[in-house]
Amino acid sequence: MLARLHYALLLQQRSLNSTLPAAQATGKITIRPHSIVHSVIFDRSTRKATGVRVIDGQTREALEFRGRILFLCASALESARILLNSSTTEFSNGLANSSGELGRNLMDHCMGGGATGLIPGNEDKITLGHRPNGIYVPRFRNVKEKHPGFVRGYGFQGDGVRQNWQRGAWMTGFGADFKHTLSRPGPWMFTFYGFGECLPNHENYIELDTQRVDAWGVPALKIHCAWRENERALLKDMTLTASEMLSAAGAKQIEPFLEDNAPGLTIHEMGTARMGRDPKTSVLNAHNQAHDVKNLFITDGACMTSSACVNPSLTYMALTARACDFAVDQMKRGEL
Amino acid sequence: MQRREALRLLAAAAALPVLSRDAFSLFREVHEQLAAAPALKTLNPHQNAMVTAISELIIPQTDTPGAKAVRVNEFIDLILTEWYDDDERQRFLAGLADVDVRSRDVFGKDFVDGSEKQQLQIVSSLDEELAGIRQPLDLHREGRFAPTEKQFFYMMKRLTLVGYYTSQAGFEQERHEHIIPPRHAGCASIEEEAT
Repeated sequence: MLARLHYALLLQQRSLNSTLPAAQATGKITIRPHSIVHSVIFDRSTRKATGVRVIDGQTREALEFRGRILFLCASALESARILLNSSTTEFSNGLANSSGELGRNLMDHCMGGGATGLIPGNEDKITLGHRPNGIYVPRFRNVKEKHPGFVRGYGFQGDGVRQNWQRGAWMTGFGADFKHTLSRPGPWMFTFYGFGECLPNHENYIELDTQRVDAWGVPALKIHCAWRENERALLKDMTLTASEMLSAAGAKQIEPFLEDNAPGLTIHEMGTARMGRDPKTSVLNAHNQAHDVKNLFITDGACMTSSACVNPSLTYMALTARACDFAVDQMKRGEL
Repeated sequence: MQRREALRLLAAAAALPVLSRDAFSLFREVHEQLAAAPALKTLNPHQNAMVTAISELIIPQTDTPGAKAVRVNEFIDLILTEWYDDDERQRFLAGLADVDVRSRDVFGKDFVDGSEKQQLQIVSSLDEELAGIRQPLDLHREGRFAPTEKQFFYMMKRLTLVGYYTSQAGFEQERHEHIIPPRHAGCASIEEEAT
C-alpha cells in the first residue's frame, strides 16, 4: 500500500535503515525496484492524479500503477522532470505548473572556499583507526551584524589530520629517499572547507530537452544554473575567514583556496517545486501538497524555498514526515 | 558522490590532505579491475614503457615493492581510459611526448632508450620545474585546477602515488595500514602506528 504512495522513492541510506524496515514490519508494503517513473496520470474530470506510468528497468515493459494519493520523492531534479513530462491540455507546460515555477529556482550549496594550514608540534602523536568525525563551524556571517558585501552566509566543515603519502605530489623529490619519507606521517594540518547558501533565482532552471532522451526514452533535462554575485562573494569570504581563524590558532603555511566548482557538485539540489502561500508564485503549499492537484505531494528537495547553508537531508525527512501526517489526517477526514 | 569525490581528489590540491575511506575503496576497486583487464586501452606500448619507467623512478623497489611491481602503469592506463576527460587525457599524453622530445634534445634518443642516469636527469629537471612554478601561483587558485595541477609531471607523480599507495602492497607493506583497523585511538604515540 505504502509503495503505491511512494512511486518514485529516493532511496537514501537513512530510509534503508529506518523508515523502510518500519514500513516492512507493517506487512503492508510492496517494494518494487527497477521501476522508472515516466509520468503522472491525471484525471481531468476529478482534477486528481490517479497513478503513474512506469517503465520496467529490466524488461522495458510499460506499466501503470494506480493510487488514491501520490507522493513524488525522486529528488529535486527528477520529481520536477516527471511533472514536466506529464503535461496535459490543462497543464500544457507541466503538471501542477499553473504558476510557471515548476523547474525554476534551482539551488545547490556553493562549496569550496576555505584554507589549510600546518599546526606545528605533536609530531610524536597520531590517531589510530578511521576517524569518524570532523568539526563544524555554524554560520557566523549576517547573524548579528549585517555584512556589507553579501546577504546570508556559510558554514565550515573541517578536520585536523596528519598529512600522509598524498603530500608527495606537492613535495620536490622522487626515488628511494622520497619513498622512505612518505612511509612516515607528515605534519599535522587543519582544513576549513566552506558550504554557502545559494539564493533562489528564477533564471536558474531546468527544462525538458526536446532533442535528447535517456536510456528509457524519457526526455533528458537541460539544466541552466550558475553561481551569481552573492554566491561568489560568499566563496571569496570563506577564504578570508578560514585563513583568519587558522592564523589566530597559530597555524603556519596557511594556504587559502577557492575552487571553481559548478553548481551540482555539492549534490544538494533543491527548489524546483517551491512551497508558498500564493498558488500564482509557488507549486506546493505548506504541506508539500500541490496547489493545482490536491492528491499530489512532493517530499524531496524540490519543495525548498531557500537553501540555508546546512546539509538539507534532515530537513527533507522532517518535512516528509510532516506531509505524511497531514495526508493521513486528510484521508481520515475524507478530504483526500 | 564517491566517483566525483575521487575525481576531485585526483586533481585536488591541499584541500584534501588525506584520502577518505570512500575514495580509498574506490581506488581499491580500480586495482581489482586490473586483474580482469590486463590489456592496455589508452597507452600504446611505447607510452606504457615510459609510464612504467617514470613511475618506478618515482617509487622504486627497495625493501618493499616499487611502482612497477604493483602495476601502477596499468592503474594509470585505466584512469586515463575510464576516468579522465579528453582534455586531461590529451594533456597527459602530450606531456609524455614532451619527455621524449627533451630526451632526444639532450641525449639524441628516446627516454626509454636512455641509461638510468640519463633518465634520472630528465625526471630531475621535470621535478625541479614543477617546484619552480608551484610557489606562489597555487595559493590563490581561482580555477578548477591550480597551475601546477595542469603540469604533466604533477599528474604523473600524483597518479603514481595514488596507484601505489592504494595497491595492496602499498598500503599493507609500505604503510602498515589496515582496511579494518585493529583498534581506534584519538591520540596515540607514533610508535604504536606501525604495530
